[in-house]
Amino acid sequence: MISILEELAEGQRQLSGPLVAAALTPVDTSEDPNRLQSFYNFSNAAQISTSLRHYLTQTCRLKIPKQELNAWIDLFSAYWKVVGELLKFGESSTRASWVQVFDNWRDLANVLIRAYTNFGFENWTISCLYVVGKYLRLFASKADAETSAQSSDAFYQEDATTDFGKNAKTEEAARVLNRMFTLCLNDRAPLEASRKWGVYYMTNLLFKTYFQINAVGLSKNLLRALSAQAKELPDLEDFPKSHIVTFKYFVGVIYFLDENYGEAEEHLAYAWKLCHRNATKNKELILTYLVPCHLVNTHTLPSKKLLSHSPRLETLFRSLCDCIRKGDLHGFDTAMTAGEEEFVRRRIYLPLERGRDIALRNLFRKVFIAGGFEESKDGQPPIRRTRIPVAEFAAALRIRTHADSRTRIDIDEVECLLSNLIYKGLMKGYIARERGMIVLSKGGTAFPGTGV
Amino acid sequence: MSNTQSEDKKAEASQQPQQQKPTVLEEDDEFEDFPVDDWPENETEQASGSTNGNNVHLWEESWDDDDAAEDFSKQLKEELKKVEASH
Repeated sequence: MISILEELAEGQRQLSGPLVAAALTPVDTSEDPNRLQSFYNFSNAAQISTSLRHYLTQTCRLKIPKQELNAWIDLFSAYWKVVGELLKFGESSTRASWVQVFDNWRDLANVLIRAYTNFGFENWTISCLYVVGKYLRLFASKADAETSAQSSDAFYQEDATTDFGKNAKTEEAARVLNRMFTLCLNDRAPLEASRKWGVYYMTNLLFKTYFQINAVGLSKNLLRALSAQAKELPDLEDFPKSHIVTFKYFVGVIYFLDENYGEAEEHLAYAWKLCHRNATKNKELILTYLVPCHLVNTHTLPSKKLLSHSPRLETLFRSLCDCIRKGDLHGFDTAMTAGEEEFVRRRIYLPLERGRDIALRNLFRKVFIAGGFEESKDGQPPIRRTRIPVAEFAAALRIRTHADSRTRIDIDEVECLLSNLIYKGLMKGYIARERGMIVLSKGGTAFPGTGV
Repeated sequence: MSNTQSEDKKAEASQQPQQQKPTVLEEDDEFEDFPVDDWPENETEQASGSTNGNNVHLWEESWDDDDAAEDFSKQLKEELKKVEASH
């Protein structure tokens, strides 16, 4: 019993894409630890086509149109070759090579693409594109890692040579994946039988590939192609949620990297809401970008509860958020320096830095609250003191920047910080310079959105 | 899932002799494949988040911290006195 062939035959009988895709998944399973080996032993290089043909038409008595049958046989012959390459890793031989695996898998991918364009593969088989695309990317990155390990073992190690062609196979994979993307996007068949249903899956694979080789800019070509076809595509909500969430996450991050935090937040929030509740790692990744977006857009912090669910997010954001909340400028600067490497690596440094304004706003808000209330007149509700000496803000800055009493804080500098916050809409009021006072807006609007 | 895991193990085992240098940096940050293709509405984060389906618990609603406000008020008064004294 050869489980790969059984899955293939059963997939053909039921016209089930997932079953055929399972056959094309190049791994051993716990149920069948010799899955690949037993398929490989099924035949040999000279006879694999004949053996497959005999198996499908005689043993399983499948009736498949001739051209299509030939395409399946070509596909699984190509697959058989890759399996041979993969098995070399188990033989502890030195002939095993991820570059070989990749090259053979790329051939398999091309056979599959041709099966769609020339030999009438129908849309029920679309899961085959998914699994072939997925492993194409995986094998490419293993091949590139292998190549770079070998070249760094070699005696020449000049920067120019090690960097050159570092991602050669991954780039090649991206080109093949792009053809698969087009194959899905441009299918003219009616929607119910269309490969268009595969378009977001392929887009997501390409996003991952482009991010991996630091070519995020190329992602925008995909977005342009998608929006040009928007009218012909099914609604996004009608796709499986795994496709939607992944797509929305990447689109959000792409806007994020463009510093378009408004658009970014919309897409990321959408991804967050639809994400599977048990997908911890993916939820953390979404929040890694959603939290800075929200800070920039609404000047609001994540709740303690949200961070407490995830140690990774705690480490990333906790101390920064505490400092922002307390208006602790010194602490904020320290936390930014401490986290700098990680923030830069995750490309969230820039928006987080904007948190300093929020920290300053919160510090000045504390000064306002410490100022207390005017004496209320005949039963009127008490009104906060809205005229505050600039010197009080200066004193607050001294406390929070850990200046000692002899360090002078320039009043001009404080006025500059105040007018900056007013300009950014974080405070409402004006500076009465001749009196050394700041006059804040009355009626709970001095610090918009914070309740006072 | 067990498929990919066994695949990864196999890959690692075969690579270890020739390669110690970790390439995990990017993998660690990569958006993972979901173990299932689709899931019902009630398994989404939105549904599990709260009863009315809104992200009320996500963000801090209030900036007020009354205990700390008093502390700060005292600290501020002391600081102002210090400044006056030094003039």
